Amino acid sequence: MKSKKYSEKIIKVFKKDGFVLSEPDVLLDSDYIIQRSGENFRKLMLTFEDDTGKSICLRPDLTIASCIKYLKDNFRANSKIFYSGQAYRRSNSSKDKVINDQLGIEILGSKNKSIDDLKVLKTIINSIKKIKIKNTSIKVGDVSLFQNLIESLKIPERWKMRLKKHFWRPQYFEDLLNRLETNSDVHPAAVDIDKKKFSEMKNLDQNNEIANRKVSEILFRFDKKIKDPRSFSENKKIAKIIRDFLKINCSIDKLEKNLKKFANKNKLSNSIFEDLSTIKNLAKINSKTIFSTNFGRDIEYYTGIVFEIYNSSKKEIARGGRYDGLLKSLGSKKNISAVGAAINLNNL
Amino acid sequence: MKNLITIGLPSKGRLKEKSINFFEKNNLKPTSNGGERNYFAQIENLPNSKIIYLHAKEIIQRLGDGTIDVGISGLDLLKESPINLQKKIEIKKKLDFGLADVVVAIPNDWIDVQTVADLEEVSFEFRDKKNIRLRVATKYPNLTNNFLVSKGVTQYKIVPSLGATETYPFIGSSEIITDITSTGKTLKDNNLRVLKDGFILNSQACLLVSKKKAAKLQLFLNSLI
Repeated sequence: MKSKKYSEKIIKVFKKDGFVLSEPDVLLDSDYIIQRSGENFRKLMLTFEDDTGKSICLRPDLTIASCIKYLKDNFRANSKIFYSGQAYRRSNSSKDKVINDQLGIEILGSKNKSIDDLKVLKTIINSIKKIKIKNTSIKVGDVSLFQNLIESLKIPERWKMRLKKHFWRPQYFEDLLNRLETNSDVHPAAVDIDKKKFSEMKNLDQNNEIANRKVSEILFRFDKKIKDPRSFSENKKIAKIIRDFLKINCSIDKLEKNLKKFANKNKLSNSIFEDLSTIKNLAKINSKTIFSTNFGRDIEYYTGIVFEIYNSSKKEIARGGRYDGLLKSLGSKKNISAVGAAINLNNL
Repeated sequence: MKNLITIGLPSKGRLKEKSINFFEKNNLKPTSNGGERNYFAQIENLPNSKIIYLHAKEIIQRLGDGTIDVGISGLDLLKESPINLQKKIEIKKKLDFGLADVVVAIPNDWIDVQTVADLEEVSFEFRDKKNIRLRVATKYPNLTNNFLVSKGVTQYKIVPSLGATETYPFIGSSEIITDITSTGKTLKDNNLRVLKDGFILNSQACLLVSKKKAAKLQLFLNSLI
């Protein structure tokens, strides 16, 4: 079988580069994942109930399964791992496969961002070279650049949060930008209503909880909401800056220049796009890589570099990226940075 | 009997009364020859027919599998049912009773939350500060998921409920709920408040038909509409 030969060769590269085999569980606790990833994740999962009524799912993603294993093993397991196995995803489109054969690597607890990003990229690129797939192309994005841009804009905190969190839902994001443009956020009357109640509640025990929220929490947010400007004058300009930013699409060696131009044009500080070390390293390996600011918006856990590699017929054969928040959202008490990538054997 | 028309009507409460009224107004008088609690009935002047009293939710399911041909049930229950089931059922007429809204309701004391946009922020707070998901108790998981996700609220977890959903936020089973309400009194009495833009569906009773049976029902339906 062709794919078996491929995977043997790829695994050799993984091992040579110091990655150690990890075998994450196939069956995962659905509620555990929903509790941490939100209800919309359920659409992707193939679930069933066991005899006790517990909801179980087939691992929808090997990165998530690997992280869960890593946390379960209390970090004693090796943190530079590779896996070879299947991921199972439900899909409405008949084009998508339900069973995906994946071969991937992860560096969990990544301590040096640019070194580890480069390591993952290099290992994946070398693996693909090893199995003699030619005429590949790479597309790359960096989610943190968008986050930095939003942080630097002069808009209410509420808007910053919303734009950052909904970056992952391009359609809804477009709605948001339209709302930003037309300044139709929250109706001002809505805020006034409970001012009387606000003063009443100030006299309550601030540690009392109402449906899992402390009185102090509710009052703090109410107060903040009143003080946060309802409307601001530069909304149209800001929406345009965001739209323009998301149009940046160029070869990777021109990126720095283009970002500078963009920052100058919009009177933004140059420092927001300062950290381009991974991008620059990648440019050294493959200068034809295309960078797009609009790229990588379909998997929510990415926080930094995101990349995909395509074969000559434009089919995705590998993808990966940095995900510094995932382990924490899966239950880790401390922040654990991570970066990884997987090769999709079905498309080879 | 091939031409027998099987009709499903709600077996309980006001929906039952009003459904019977609707049939009577159209000169179709349901009569039961058994006791008051008999689940079967006939229509006096329509010999080829049979009425079965069923749970409103079950009327949708039985229309889908073809055991009944016509029925009356709520739009909320139809819209909540799986897509495959909905495709087999046609809404013949929206009726002027059973009017109620499926809504998102939150504890009244959450004074900082007035709109779905607020809820979205609070759901992120739950995730980021408490590392748990906001829990939404509901009898309508499908309608709720579609509504919340379309409004940008994604960080939540559904808690399925069978009834008395209004209690959930105050006994620690969920933080907020979605439920059906006609006057809003039950919500208010239980210290809950509907979000300003928290209307998921305007529901009402509907005359529903199994699509497969449409041909044989034509005459009968003409007498009803």
